[in-house]
Amino acid sequence: MSKRSCLILIAALVASPAAAHVTLETKQATVGASYEAVFAVPHGCAGSPTVKIRVQIPEGVIAVKPMPKAGWNVDVVEGKYASEYDYHGNKLSSGVKEVAWSGGRLSDKNYDEFIMHTVLADSLKPNTTLYFPVVQECETGVSRWIEIPTEGAGHSESKSPAPGVKLLPKP
Amino acid sequence: MRFLGALATLLLVAGFATGARAHAALISVEPASGSILTSAPKAVELRFNEAVTPGTIRLIDGAGRARDDTRVSASGETISIAMPAGLPQGTAVVSYRVISQDGHPVAGSVTFSVGVPTATKPPANADGGLNILIWLARIGLYLGLFVGVGGVFFARAIAGSTVGTAVPRAALFVGVLGAVASLGLVGADLLGLSAAALLTSAPWKVAFATSAGPALLVAIAAMLISLFALQRAADACRLSVIAFVGVGLSLAMTGHAATAPPEMLTRPAMFLHGLGVAYWIGALAPLAALASNPTAATLPILNRFSRIAVPVVAVLALTGLALAIIQLENLAALVETRYGFILSIKLALVLVLLALAALNRFRLTPAIARDHKAAPALKHSILLECGIALGIFAVVAGWRFTPPPRTIVPETPLAIHIHSDKAMFQVLVSPGKAGTNDFVLQLMTGEATPLKAKEATLTLSLPERGIEPMEREAKLGPDGYWHVRKSELPFAGRWHVRIDALVTDFEKITLEDELEVAPP
Repeated sequence: MSKRSCLILIAALVASPAAAHVTLETKQATVGASYEAVFAVPHGCAGSPTVKIRVQIPEGVIAVKPMPKAGWNVDVVEGKYASEYDYHGNKLSSGVKEVAWSGGRLSDKNYDEFIMHTVLADSLKPNTTLYFPVVQECETGVSRWIEIPTEGAGHSESKSPAPGVKLLPKP
Repeated sequence: MRFLGALATLLLVAGFATGARAHAALISVEPASGSILTSAPKAVELRFNEAVTPGTIRLIDGAGRARDDTRVSASGETISIAMPAGLPQGTAVVSYRVISQDGHPVAGSVTFSVGVPTATKPPANADGGLNILIWLARIGLYLGLFVGVGGVFFARAIAGSTVGTAVPRAALFVGVLGAVASLGLVGADLLGLSAAALLTSAPWKVAFATSAGPALLVAIAAMLISLFALQRAADACRLSVIAFVGVGLSLAMTGHAATAPPEMLTRPAMFLHGLGVAYWIGALAPLAALASNPTAATLPILNRFSRIAVPVVAVLALTGLALAIIQLENLAALVETRYGFILSIKLALVLVLLALAALNRFRLTPAIARDHKAAPALKHSILLECGIALGIFAVVAGWRFTPPPRTIVPETPLAIHIHSDKAMFQVLVSPGKAGTNDFVLQLMTGEATPLKAKEATLTLSLPERGIEPMEREAKLGPDGYWHVRKSELPFAGRWHVRIDALVTDFEKITLEDELEVAPP
């Protein structure tokens, strides 16, 4: 293992303190390529079991296909994109804007993953973080993982950050 | 009687057309009063709890000079005062005098400092004995309306005899004088001028811009019609009735009580209360004259008056009670506020008056029926009633100077304004001192339109004392603002305030600022 990748590993470990939040398993992705977004749900809302996970698809994320999950229904909300995207020679101007898994019951004591396949459009800006706001609904209560740090706000510790993925330039 | 009903309805509708609330209170100032700014503000904004009309707004700059180059613009409950360019360093004072919807002036001063605070004093108000004149004019007005118009109504519509109308006649002259003087004095008071300014036209013009102007005109008209009814015999009864209705109308058109919400209740209550007072008090002087020289006609008149007086007193008590409950809001205000104190004295006097009236009704009047020798006792009792009535007028005229408890804002709340390009949050903290505080969050978009939020959360922390964030859910009130009641701020100091407004399920706007909390 090179010294650089070792540093990245350490940084990644430090950045996810005990995985107390809903996060994305894969922390980096390349623009203009496909990305498997795996949402890790480590616990319920203050002890209450999770019954629904809603994910908002950010602009520039296209061709979204959620993976079906045993014991859960998966629904999507489609809508217009803010701009048009080129996808295998087709112009895409609308598509999935929200994915929701519901009907299941994930105990606070268990861990699970919710997966969707996506494509990151060319137009996304490299070296920024792309956020997927998540609303976690439980038998009692709601946790909103929707806080997006403002540009240059420094390392202010937010209480319920939206899961994010670091965008890398095309190789 | 149908004519009277139609007239009353018409006049009432006219009176209601001025959709008004009452007695304004300043709720926030931008920049906050007492703040120290690095550069002079472009404008000072005063926000009241109701729409107001600017009277006089004065600016004394940091160098202690009175400036006349400000521009004042008003829209609804906000008055914006554009500051002249190049304000000198130091503490500037903005003193304001605005007109509430009940026609009364509300005055005060706010300060801000550019660079460094200096000792600029708010300008002294040019009272010059104006308040005493206003009070005297008001007593004169009451005499004219109740003793004068009420007296003529008794003579023409109840007794059908002009015995003892010398006093009402004199009261009418005093009343017209008092009403005219009130008109000018109200204007002078609104502009912050002395009584000498009555010789100029400004106060008179201003008076007509308030609800007091039309109300006083109606009062003057009622008194003139009454004088007319006294002068000639033809149509005298009808004229006296019109004037009598005018008394209630004039009272229902202006003042603390008539403009208190709900007006659907307070204006008719004030109208009936005024009629009741005019009926009762107006009859006293002619009755005293009748009793001092009893004839065969005296007893039927006495009986007729008494029969109507019983329901009238009931109406008086009922409407008075309703108005008092609305104005006071709680029983403690009866002794704790000046308004309540005046009401307490009035109530005490009214009780004495009621006792005398009961004595007259149930002892002295039957005694006269048996023997005319009882007449002097009745006369003395009625004269005593007159004296007490005058005392009540003097006390009630003092209400002009005290805001009713319902409008008293406990203490000027602490206000902070947080602004980003996405949103503007106004936070009012009352009392803004260490201890239990109530928060009002006014959420607006960057374009100052109301921000529709699904949830709002207030988070408070005091890093200097190691107090970690305390989170409180705000509740949306019927006023469209978010409220957090009874939140504890245990220490004075520079608190960190954070407000999260959930706009959609996935989007939340967060603004943060500091809040300087004073020791209790």
